[in-house]
Amino acid sequence: MSLTPASDIVGKKPGRGLTGLLLVAIPVLLVCWMVIWPIISAIGRTLWLPNDGGTGRSFSVETYKFFFSDQYSLNNLYVTLWTTGVCAVLLVLICLPIALYLRFAKGRLAAYVQGLAIFPMFVPSIILSYAIIRVLGPNGTVDLLLNSVGLPHIRSPYLTPWGPVIGLVWDNIPLTVLILISGLGAVSNQSIEAARDVGAGRFAVLWHIILPRISNSILVAVSFTVLGIFSSFTLPYVLGPAAPEMMGPFMQRTFRDLNDPTNAITQAVIAFAFCIVFGLFYVRSVAKNRAR
Amino acid sequence: MAGALTEKRIDWTGIGFAVVLTLVIIFPLVVVGTWAFANVWRYPSVIPQEFGLRYWNQTLARPDVWSAITMSLSLSTVVTFLSALICLPAAYAFARLEFPGRSILFFSFLAGQAFPKFGLLVAIAGIFLTLNLIGTFWGVVLIQLVGTLLFMIWIPVAAFQAVDRRMEEAARDVGASPVRVFWSITLPQAGPTIAAAVLLSFVGTFYETEGAWLIGAPQIRTLPVLMISFINNQPVIQYGAVLSVLLWIPSFIALLFARRVISSGSFAKGFGG
Repeated sequence: MSLTPASDIVGKKPGRGLTGLLLVAIPVLLVCWMVIWPIISAIGRTLWLPNDGGTGRSFSVETYKFFFSDQYSLNNLYVTLWTTGVCAVLLVLICLPIALYLRFAKGRLAAYVQGLAIFPMFVPSIILSYAIIRVLGPNGTVDLLLNSVGLPHIRSPYLTPWGPVIGLVWDNIPLTVLILISGLGAVSNQSIEAARDVGAGRFAVLWHIILPRISNSILVAVSFTVLGIFSSFTLPYVLGPAAPEMMGPFMQRTFRDLNDPTNAITQAVIAFAFCIVFGLFYVRSVAKNRAR
Repeated sequence: MAGALTEKRIDWTGIGFAVVLTLVIIFPLVVVGTWAFANVWRYPSVIPQEFGLRYWNQTLARPDVWSAITMSLSLSTVVTFLSALICLPAAYAFARLEFPGRSILFFSFLAGQAFPKFGLLVAIAGIFLTLNLIGTFWGVVLIQLVGTLLFMIWIPVAAFQAVDRRMEEAARDVGASPVRVFWSITLPQAGPTIAAAVLLSFVGTFYETEGAWLIGAPQIRTLPVLMISFINNQPVIQYGAVLSVLLWIPSFIALLFARRVISSGSFAKGFGG
């Protein structure tokens, strides 16, 4: 899936170079204007703040100092890190067994399980939020069922930090499973059979043969999850508590409701800083796959 | 785990996964579906007291629902059309022409993937603020257009590369013009994949909530944005349920078309798998 080798290229005449550049110009400029420039500008305008007198700008880390000394902001950052970490761990724990099962199982039941694992991809997160409220919310279906057999209500995760966790894990199952299955494709049946032949148990096979080979896929899946969850908006906004709130809703509220773009953009830059390692690793893996 | 010896054993692991996943994934959606067709469902009855279409009539009679449907459809159409207009020629150029910086420009579309999305949206919103694009239709179009670029370029590039070059050359040899070759050989072969990319970008835009909410609210109300306000402020549960079922239709159509694409491993590779 790499770009075509040079021998396959039609345009070798000098004029063709310009045609190619012109054809790709608009989308490339759009990426520059709407991705690269906003990031540079975000860093610039939060570090060079307007002077008090209203004339010119000068270097200042004031907004960052405010963020890291404001307990409310720190709580929001903490709950975001907590949610991201919990979701990443849960996703690996849930999806790895599913992926292992799907790698080795054949037949109709396996196809059904795979279909179910991929299905959340086709459920928009806003519908998912609504479904979670109806099932796990106060007087939701779980309460109805418990009540009908005489058991007490559950402590609903709706509007607690666990609400977004449930939603985000549900939402991220498909891609995590797909990435892990794709990684498990690199584990050959022979290597597993060979280990079995010398008496390795299931756990030993998993630990010594399978995990070392798919550790990269696990890292890719975790990076993708971290990037998606750290600044997720819809699920935490609808399912999470009003305070502390995750960075997504926090940025939105600071930008629109408090009408304070400078602090909102500071929060965005802080989010970039926390995710940059995962982001670069993820992009590198995608690029490597594509160039292969 | 699969082998000649184990074939006859009952696949308990599989049954376990199937049962748990059915409960966790399908059950909540069935509950929403049931709410949409419940005329009366009072606590603590386990099933609705009365089924019917009453709330379908009421929901579809609301003007805010219709204006949100119109807004969502026109946004998705405009974004998909513009995206196809600028991305497909670019994809063709990436697949077939040599020009300076081709490789780095091709991978530049990944840039947006390295950053947490909502942070990027806030950074873009900061720029839109100075351009007075906040709360406007075209502001939302721009932000959603950027979200479609990666798919609308990378998938069609793969499609153009997969076209059989010998057929194109053969057509040229018997005197077909380049336009004719493109129209009769290249497009029919690359067409289905490109159509899938267009569908993906339409459906993706239809459900795009965060950009629409951050940039468009309160003037621009798409269906997902309306759904958020139903969840937050609407005491009648059924309105949200009916809207959920309506909202799911584009996803259902995508599901019918995309199942084959996604099951074939190459899709996961696109996400770095």
